[in-house]
Amino acid sequence: MQGYFTQRLLLTIPTFIGITLLVFTLTRLVPGGPIERMLAEAQLSSGETASSAEGFGSQSLSEDQLDQLKAYYGFDKPIITSYLEWLWKVLQLDLGESTRYGESVWDSIIERLPVSIFYGVTTMILTYLICIPLGIFKALKHGAPFDHASSAFIFISYAIPGYVIGIACVSFFAANLEWFPLGGFVSDEFEELTLWEKIKDLLHHAFLPLIAYMAGSLAVMTFMMKNALMENLSADYIRTATAKGLSFSSAIKKHALRNSLIPLATHFGQNISVILSGSFLIEKIFNIDGIGLLGYEALVERDYPVVMGILVISAVLYLIGNILSDICVAWADPRIRFGEAK
Amino acid sequence: MLTPQAKKRWIKFKALKRGYYSFILITVLIFLSLFAELIASNRPVVIHYNGELHFPTYGDILPGTSFGYDYQWEVNYKDLQKQFNLEDKGNWLIMPVIPFNPLESDFIEGEYPPYAPSIESKHYLGTDMAGRDITSRLIYGFRIAILFSLFLLAVTYIIGVFIGALMGYLGGTFDLVFQRLIEVLSNIPILYVIMIVASIVTPDFWTLVLLLAAFSWMGLTWYMRTETYRENSREYVMAARAIGASHSRIIFKHILPNSVSILVTFFPFSVVSGITSLTSLDYLGFGLPAPTPSWGELLQQGTANLEYQWIAISAVAALSFVLTLVTFIGEAIREAFDPKKYSYYE
Amino acid sequence: MKFRKINCAVMFLLLSISIQSNANTLPADLSWENNNNAKPWASPLATKGGKFTDFILTFPPTLRTVGPDSNSSFRSYINANQLGLTDFHPNTLEIIPQIATEWAYGQDGKTVFYKLDPSARWSDGNPVTADDFLFTLDFMRSKHINAPWYNNHYTNEITSVKKFGDHTISITGRVAKPKEELHYYYGLVPTPKHFYKKIDKNWVKKYNWKIIPNTGPYQISKIKKGKRITFERKSDWWAADRPLNKNRFNVDKVILKVIRDTNIAYKHFEKGELDSYALVLPEFWHNKAKGKLYDNGYLEKFTFYNNSPRSSSGWFLNTDNSILKEKPVRIALAHALNFDKVIKTVLRGDYERLQAFHTGYGEFSNKNISARKFDLKAANKILDEAGWQQRGGDGVRISNGQRLSLNLVYGRKEHSDRWSILKQDALKAGIEINLRLQDSSSHYKTIMQKQHQIASLGWSTGFRPAFWQHFHSENAHKPQTNNITNLDNKNIDKDIEAYRAETDSNKRVKLANALAQQIHDSAVFIPSFKVPYTRGAHWRWLKFPDAPGTKTSSTLYSPFGDGGIFWVDSKTKIETKAARKNSTKYSSVNKTFDQYRENTSD
Repeated sequence: MQGYFTQRLLLTIPTFIGITLLVFTLTRLVPGGPIERMLAEAQLSSGETASSAEGFGSQSLSEDQLDQLKAYYGFDKPIITSYLEWLWKVLQLDLGESTRYGESVWDSIIERLPVSIFYGVTTMILTYLICIPLGIFKALKHGAPFDHASSAFIFISYAIPGYVIGIACVSFFAANLEWFPLGGFVSDEFEELTLWEKIKDLLHHAFLPLIAYMAGSLAVMTFMMKNALMENLSADYIRTATAKGLSFSSAIKKHALRNSLIPLATHFGQNISVILSGSFLIEKIFNIDGIGLLGYEALVERDYPVVMGILVISAVLYLIGNILSDICVAWADPRIRFGEAK
Repeated sequence: MLTPQAKKRWIKFKALKRGYYSFILITVLIFLSLFAELIASNRPVVIHYNGELHFPTYGDILPGTSFGYDYQWEVNYKDLQKQFNLEDKGNWLIMPVIPFNPLESDFIEGEYPPYAPSIESKHYLGTDMAGRDITSRLIYGFRIAILFSLFLLAVTYIIGVFIGALMGYLGGTFDLVFQRLIEVLSNIPILYVIMIVASIVTPDFWTLVLLLAAFSWMGLTWYMRTETYRENSREYVMAARAIGASHSRIIFKHILPNSVSILVTFFPFSVVSGITSLTSLDYLGFGLPAPTPSWGELLQQGTANLEYQWIAISAVAALSFVLTLVTFIGEAIREAFDPKKYSYYE
Repeated sequence: MKFRKINCAVMFLLLSISIQSNANTLPADLSWENNNNAKPWASPLATKGGKFTDFILTFPPTLRTVGPDSNSSFRSYINANQLGLTDFHPNTLEIIPQIATEWAYGQDGKTVFYKLDPSARWSDGNPVTADDFLFTLDFMRSKHINAPWYNNHYTNEITSVKKFGDHTISITGRVAKPKEELHYYYGLVPTPKHFYKKIDKNWVKKYNWKIIPNTGPYQISKIKKGKRITFERKSDWWAADRPLNKNRFNVDKVILKVIRDTNIAYKHFEKGELDSYALVLPEFWHNKAKGKLYDNGYLEKFTFYNNSPRSSSGWFLNTDNSILKEKPVRIALAHALNFDKVIKTVLRGDYERLQAFHTGYGEFSNKNISARKFDLKAANKILDEAGWQQRGGDGVRISNGQRLSLNLVYGRKEHSDRWSILKQDALKAGIEINLRLQDSSSHYKTIMQKQHQIASLGWSTGFRPAFWQHFHSENAHKPQTNNITNLDNKNIDKDIEAYRAETDSNKRVKLANALAQQIHDSAVFIPSFKVPYTRGAHWRWLKFPDAPGTKTSSTLYSPFGDGGIFWVDSKTKIETKAARKNSTKYSSVNKTFDQYRENTSD
């Protein structure tokens, strides 16, 4: 078992290099890098209104000056050289500097980390809190009206994209009814509030985004739970247990439930990287300054160091998550022995 | 012909009413959408002109000159219909139920688009911001989305099953290398790749199918791999190997047919994810080029203009209706293929 | 048409200049001008106080105004509070004083002398002196600021800055120009020498988030990264008592909130969290700006017709393309595009058709030119005669096996609707147009590589029409230049060169008009739309002078620059908030101001 995990840990290295090298190469192939963006901004009219500009966009730059810009953005070397330089820096935990904000990528990410973690973790906890009981209940009442009604509801919420639900919530509950704030992570005067008010303020802001976040994952988890439990309920060992006189409810508690949690546990590990990335569309709608939005803006604005920085973190989390989910499964089901099947 | 086992499953599937009816409904919808030109189009289904019948739905345009107008471009059938009625010379034409094609902007004099749903104007679900009929766009959008997801599914299944089976069957280095490749691919931000491709060539239907397929075949591979592992150690495979069956024969004749149940249960969910992916891409503007009819684009218009509720409502209703149908089918298939009968305790 | 600030350098160079310049003596025969009688455009009714909240879509990437990523929309807020030597009167376009109180012109036609206001102060209390202007030149020429355009401009265009005592300077440019253009192209904005001291290679990083001392009415007082930026009015601003500044810059605080979605921002406005909302886009003006808040008069709508250079937006036809190199095809295409239908439908009749490449430049625009009208008969006739008479089964014309099918690249998703309407009518002329939306960076790259067939875009405006960059053959057939139609015409070249060399205003006007005609005749540019107005809605507590804007206003809600003429009436604010609670009604307000409206026939 220990050998298996060591091997898995070692295998993450080529994977990590594969991921980052591929994306790094892609950033070089994209037409319109930071330099083009800079040139475009200098010359094009940005809006529909008559705008005035500096009037010296007319001058083209000399080769020397273009080279200077290329060097500033690190585009002056062959891909593999700059990749190795980048990798060397990453190994020293230096993710470089954002070409757009000019500040350290680490700082940008860390600044937004609390927000993303808050939403990621809360969404996950709430999803588990709702899905597990709901899944159990649906499994026990399989085929009953409640099962059908809740299935229909869950499917519909699954079918509508989270960002659409978000927009609908904002326009209805926040704008029309004014029950909730229009967005943001906390109020402007957050610092002046007492602890209790702070918590209230945070939850007040978080309510609608959480609904939008949860809408999608609700269906998957609930059905995973329901199916797993139903499978286990029909398994021989439950029949045996009830036949031996164990009451049905304790049979569920003692055996079926625990086994049914295995698929959810697998899911947990894989979810770790999702926690952080969030959904940039939901973040945009609710004006939440999270990692998802940072990544999307960086993509659109061709801020490659930030793109790569976020990729490094999400890749590392994904790889750790995979190993973690193996551990979770092993813990939830002592029968599973990794690395021995071969 | 159906094997007895398949027949049993089919009977069981039919017994699950919700899934079965959803299946029938969606099949009918797909079938109808293949003939969308007869349902929603600016071209009549049939024209009777000077004793001759024309069927302009498919094929070349009929220029204005062929009906006595002085212009070379496609005849305006709405004008033609009015003229036929006015002249009363025995000429007639039958328009489809929805007399608009999805790309056509229909403007009402003195009013600005979007136009609200109205039976009189024949815009049964209203129009979008550019005056295009929403019903027509939904129908064509459905055809594109469902075909897109079916093709996507075909490609991902072929790649996923093939590689998954080989990984499980061959094991060893092959397995190890592809495991890494899958890990690498599942970490590439797909939106990013699509943005890059979109900036080099405008993505068309097939580019998008292949692009998405390249990054979504991995999910199935894991299941296929485990399944092959399991089947591989069964007696019948060992027996086949013992009598000298070739690798390809073992995979195709023995392992694949026995893994079919897992493939089929994933079917509807792949369709759902195909439709959702295309919709989100269109929503963000990285999907099929404008003015292709698309649900995502309609959704985008609807959410940006919530005052005109019919746009968002039509898009969301259509999307959730179809996705819910497919999910119902999926649930029923899963149950029909489940070898274990569920026990119920009262 | 604001007089744009052209900011600031290498220490040793600076020293040498100032030592040398101390020895300078003023020419004796200068005749000083001041324009102290310019007419103010603010209202005496204005009262000071209150705060004004607006929104920005993204948090600015830096507070620097030069160097990488400084060209965000936020820069205008900082620049507006960094005064130049002179400015242009927003209504009359006369030269008006800023830091300079008087100016005079040299004999060579390329030098301007300025007397600085001795009371001018930086926001940190230090006086603004001639050295700050000399420093600008060093600063802008420094490699360390990583701004090659600025390096070029301040090296090639501005030849020297001389000091005649602490409060008098002269600026000499490369070539002689008409007087007002000397101010526009050669005018300088001071750079606080005492603050920067030295420009080294860390400059870009070091000054990313530093608040630079300024000379304008407001200064940034608080920054909450990613969320908001607050400007505060200086209580003892040195120029507050100037006649042109009186009754302006009334609010105490200007708060810019970051809201990333315009729809959500509008909801903030309706809640009263924002004081105003610009509603230039037809979708917003007609769809969103209605309902109880407007009917009850809490929100007021203003449409203000302005008159300033219009962005040269439209379709650019690449003449290096095998189909578009034929002029008849270009002319036919122009006749096959029904821009008026787009205006009448999705643009709701608000926008107007742009008639030529340069409009709104006063007499420099050729008002006799009008864009080719939508005319299918003409388009079809031209194409029939040009050898495209054969049509395929889909109605698209064919010549020598080639379909008349063209790709249009554009960079804004919102424009898809407009172009799909044009596409439908163009097909009637047998022209197929394929819409190719690209994200804005790749769009620009495609065009700069000259890989497009048709490109839709809008060039930003300048002080005077610019021909050389867009139409001279020197910029054709090669990447990274602005001649994106690859127009290559010897006669046009000759006139452009003459236009560039001319210093006499009247002759320049003539040349500009002649050039405009030639460009129209070449049919390489199909003008699309112009927005002849600025408009928006605001809460009724925001009060305005009788004319809420100026001839050149691009928005009515600018708190800085040549704006700042509105004020917040705190009594009305309390009253309105109470009225909203108990549904008291006021009369609804929807005003149009067309005193500066262009004659629509031009």
